Amino acid sequence: MDLINRIYCVLFTIATVLSLTYSIEIPEEFQKSNHSNNWAVLVDTSRFWFNYRHVANVLSIYRSVKRLGIPDSQIILMISDDMACNPRNPRPATIFNNAHEQINVYGDDVEVDYRGYEVSVENFVRLLTGRVPPDTPRSKRLLTDEGSNILIYLTGHGGDGFLKFQDSEEITSQELADALEQMWEKRRYNEIFFIIDTCQASSMYEKFYSPNILATASSLVGEDSLSHHVDSAIGVYIIDRYTYYVLEFLENVHPNSKRTMSEFLAVCPKSACLSTVGVRRDLFKRDPDKVPITDFFGSVRPVIITTDPIDILDTPKRKKKPENKTKSPVKREYLPQFPVHLVPNTKTG
Amino acid sequence: MDFLRRFLNYYIFFTCFLCVRCDEFKEELFFKPLPSTHLYSYFQFVTLVDSELSSFHSHLAPRSLAEVVSRFQVEELHLTLTEGQWRHHQWGYPVLDAAPGAELYAWFSPDVTDVDTQWKKLSATLSGLFCASLNFIDNFNTVTPQMALWPMGAVKSSQNVTSQLRYASLPREIVCTENLTPWKKLLPCESSRGFSALLNSRMIHNTNYHSVGVHVRKVCKSSDCLETQLEFKQTVALVYDYDIIKSNDWSLRKLFGQGLPGACPLSTDSKIYIDITSNSSQPFTLSPPPDNVILSQRGRTDTLLAVYNIHPDGKMINIGVKHKTKSQLPVSIHPPLFFNRYVLGYGKEFGGIVTEITNNCLAPINVVVLENAPWWLPIQLSTLRVNGEAESKLVQSQYYSPGRSRQKPYHLELLIKLPPKSTTTITIDFEFVFLKWQEYPPDANHGFYIGSALISANLPTARNYTSLPITGTTFDSIINDTKLWYPIVFRTNGAMVSLPTPDFSMPYNVICLACTVVALAFGPLHNICTKELVLKPSGTSLSLTQKLLNLFKRKRD
Repeated sequence: MDLINRIYCVLFTIATVLSLTYSIEIPEEFQKSNHSNNWAVLVDTSRFWFNYRHVANVLSIYRSVKRLGIPDSQIILMISDDMACNPRNPRPATIFNNAHEQINVYGDDVEVDYRGYEVSVENFVRLLTGRVPPDTPRSKRLLTDEGSNILIYLTGHGGDGFLKFQDSEEITSQELADALEQMWEKRRYNEIFFIIDTCQASSMYEKFYSPNILATASSLVGEDSLSHHVDSAIGVYIIDRYTYYVLEFLENVHPNSKRTMSEFLAVCPKSACLSTVGVRRDLFKRDPDKVPITDFFGSVRPVIITTDPIDILDTPKRKKKPENKTKSPVKREYLPQFPVHLVPNTKTG
Repeated sequence: MDFLRRFLNYYIFFTCFLCVRCDEFKEELFFKPLPSTHLYSYFQFVTLVDSELSSFHSHLAPRSLAEVVSRFQVEELHLTLTEGQWRHHQWGYPVLDAAPGAELYAWFSPDVTDVDTQWKKLSATLSGLFCASLNFIDNFNTVTPQMALWPMGAVKSSQNVTSQLRYASLPREIVCTENLTPWKKLLPCESSRGFSALLNSRMIHNTNYHSVGVHVRKVCKSSDCLETQLEFKQTVALVYDYDIIKSNDWSLRKLFGQGLPGACPLSTDSKIYIDITSNSSQPFTLSPPPDNVILSQRGRTDTLLAVYNIHPDGKMINIGVKHKTKSQLPVSIHPPLFFNRYVLGYGKEFGGIVTEITNNCLAPINVVVLENAPWWLPIQLSTLRVNGEAESKLVQSQYYSPGRSRQKPYHLELLIKLPPKSTTTITIDFEFVFLKWQEYPPDANHGFYIGSALISANLPTARNYTSLPITGTTFDSIINDTKLWYPIVFRTNGAMVSLPTPDFSMPYNVICLACTVVALAFGPLHNICTKELVLKPSGTSLSLTQKLLNLFKRKRD
């Protein structure tokens, strides 16, 4: 029986390998990419029910990057408030991108890394610069290296030169620029694509001075970013215009598609957004016309093509630790679930 | 395709066959109609592993959790994430009670010397594993219960268990799909097969009460208890409201949005238990009929359980209940012990917490009440009154550990003997404290939550009691399990206070006001200091128009 099992196992492996080679087409530019891994930092900075749209914004991007292949372990999702299970939400555990309930951007498989009060300026800067407390779990760390392409998406309420966090504190554009510079000095990224959807959003990237950053914003200084529409069932604006059109665009992007970043930068013309989308290209060395969108939204899996087969049958066996047989087994017992020794006249059952 | 499926079946069969020796996985689902219009469903997924084996070779046990347990030398761990409030008075008792929000308590191995550091590391790690803000657990919200909590696992004889215990609760914590997703990933079948396929987040978050839990303990392998096994128990408790599902006839499809796609192929035992004791007062039929019906006697309490054995054949199963008459409402029988907790006082200076415990039995009941007040709500032992008396004869033992500002919570434990058929009121006063400006949360005006009190009781009767005995891991252990005492730990409802909250725009106002005052004061002062008053000689000749104007002015006067 064991032999049959083994034969089946071998056949199965062969079948898997064959199916993999035939079904997945490796994109042409795949080997030429100059990064080795992809990360995403998606931040919603606003609390309270009336800011439902900001949570829908950030989850729209989360949905897209996850669909295009970035695993949950490489997505840092920060959400300031709970909208999906909020008692005011008539459809629990869902967040939709429009009032017709087309796309549930929350989904059934979501992992939020920082939530509620954890979303603060301090935690955000610590996350970017990697200066987290020693006990921080892996899912709350940005474990990037010099080969990482990072997508940073911020949404919330902002003004000229600042972005509000939780209605109680702000990050200024200078602080953000300094944090990115620190990342560059620590070799924590290869390229960054920075998206921000707030009012006067372009003021946040104007102070950037570190190389290899492509930045886009939903509005210029002096302009407001506007929301798309109200859902009368929940009584609040459901999504912002810029992100609404970004999601619409990204829904048509597939891991093998040849769309470029310049298409993404032109995703929301003024007629649709009602605000001017700002772009900053001077820090970015490549031409956005030639950069595939999957360089930031997809995920590169490190592939090494080798012609020398490696023999994995002769793996060195681990040395077994000498078992401590002399240790006599310790007797254990269940304790009474109540401090019966303190109660007079009680029989234990 | 057929070939592949056959291969997969073989594969699954062999993995099961090969590993029955080391790991064992069982899934169970328990339904109980609750008075008056609710339905309790309780999922339990149990994995048993030989604890002598290294956790790195675990087969069915969740490796990520096993690693946490072995790394931090945890003997026993209980984590629950709960939304909603269990109504003990109306619904009776759950299998496992849980505090609203997040609750974590653990016993560390006696080898751990620095328990506090290990505790902080454990909570930080679990916060990453379950997407919850457990990293907010720190010394200032952790207590070491002295009497209320006892390990449910087997411990070494003559071991000091209390010093290795830490307990913390975060009443504000929200529970949503992001907590359920990592929880499901710990199961061997994840959410593809077995009972966990029923846990569709859109349906289960539409309930009155939902609680997700992970419990790890050591259980005896044999009766002499020289060898132990590690038990990983993952639980989900849900309370459905018939008003939300719009009828009191329920079925799996109605509750979970889909039928049950067979048992998890990796499980050795998959059973559904339905409490049909209420069938006598409220006749209903089960479809399909159960495989067998068991009468369980615990003490003098009879429970009828309908049992379904679910097989991993991949067939869709939809178990449903249809009532014969619709008008009757079940009458709730009060459980032997129930309680209520509320906050007293008005204004922003003093207040009090009241815990009312009612013993509905004809015998006295011993309970331990654990009050846990955060450092910003100082409770004074001198204000403790039991039934209005400062020195009550009901209190048999007491423990009080005063808090310290920003370092330690206030912790009070009382061992009380509740007289039969009586209500005991425990009152303790607190005063409000001003926080520092930066210590207020972003939504300070929402109010501040106080965690639940723990009530550990030794019940003399098994009425409304659904918990498993300590020696049992599965539901069949409750059948005919008669004991002298039925121990259970309850969580009361939490409470909320509104602390004196400053006007957060005040610094801005102060700056504006101060600047105005400075500007107003500075102008004249500057003028006085720098300018000199010089007398102007008036004898100079006036122009013709000036003379005329002066003439008019004088006339007007």
